[in-house]
Amino acid sequence: MGMIFRDSGIAGRTAIVTGGGRGIGREIVKVLAAEGADVTFFYLNNRGAAEALQAECGASGFNVTALPVDVRNAEDCGRAVESVLGRTDRIDILVNNAGVLRDNLLPAFTEDEISDVLATNVLGVFHITGVVAPVMIRQRGGAIINISSVSGEKGGKGQTNYAASKGAINAFTRALAVELAPRKIRVNAVAPGLIDTDMSREVRELAGDQVLDRILLGRYGTPAEVASVVCFLASRYGEYINGEIIHVDGGFKMA
Amino acid sequence: MNTDTIYPKVREIIADVLAFEESEIQRDGSLVDDYSAESIDFLDLVYQLEREFKIKVPRGMIEQEARRGLSEDFEEHGRLTDKGLEHLKTYLSEVPEDRFTPRMQVSLIPTLFTPETFCKIVLREMEGGEQAASG
Repeated sequence: MGMIFRDSGIAGRTAIVTGGGRGIGREIVKVLAAEGADVTFFYLNNRGAAEALQAECGASGFNVTALPVDVRNAEDCGRAVESVLGRTDRIDILVNNAGVLRDNLLPAFTEDEISDVLATNVLGVFHITGVVAPVMIRQRGGAIINISSVSGEKGGKGQTNYAASKGAINAFTRALAVELAPRKIRVNAVAPGLIDTDMSREVRELAGDQVLDRILLGRYGTPAEVASVVCFLASRYGEYINGEIIHVDGGFKMA
Repeated sequence: MNTDTIYPKVREIIADVLAFEESEIQRDGSLVDDYSAESIDFLDLVYQLEREFKIKVPRGMIEQEARRGLSEDFEEHGRLTDKGLEHLKTYLSEVPEDRFTPRMQVSLIPTLFTPETFCKIVLREMEGGEQAASG
């Protein structure tokens, strides 16, 4: 783990990363911590992975705290953010990364497959951002980065629920950017394509070489390649970027 | 405790949120018309009051309280009825009479808010949210 940017302005900042225990979120936690941020990451189930990440970061001298939080539960989110504030009294960076996939063809969806995805991917973002935004408004500054997906813009079989959730996040990002801009709070989204994580494994295995052929760069992305863009948006180098959806997909969206 | 004891801190927070000098804040001034407060400022103001006074102000509380006991008679097509207007005048008794206009839009109620309005809200919530914030 090393710094990506020199003098990024992230050192000493306080960051929250939801869904930080695994995959892309885990890498975002590591990158922000390496830049010198005090990072609290929320995780839902995998306590072992969360503790391992916290220990790994601690061993590197980074300031990282793991908190079990169910973003689907608004009260849980409120308590978690209060607990971060109790320690740091500010929140400079919020990365809404928690998300789930429940692919199926539309007529075959169960109610749970629809509601689980919308509750985590959409309502979860409302819950956390709803309690963090007033803090940033008070501070007159902050950066909110939502993790969207190429699915929010590019159609994909079996993903109507996930695509709808990520399309919602894109719209949410633009609307909130307008709302919070007067207080110098930037809101952007990063839309990864097919990234080499546990969460996307099933999609990648099902799609096989067929989908790889449609990625212009001819390979899957890595969590670190997404995390570095998140870090850029959180840094002083991204200070004039607002309301954008940045695609990190090797050209998949265009193919 | 009364609103006089709360006012200095409320004024300090209002001045900070709206970027005015404390000396420029009048207790019965209109936050919207005199100090250019926008909706995001009200959010900030309530958030800071909540933290300063260790209270929780339910969102939309003022309008809900102003409607209490009137239900649908309060407004008609988004505008205050005569009854609604009288009810609102009683509820926002700290607001000078000439700022209320007949058939005013419900969405414009926040334009009536003054620093004293927020003192009353704070006092009410500090006392357990039981008494009506009517003066």
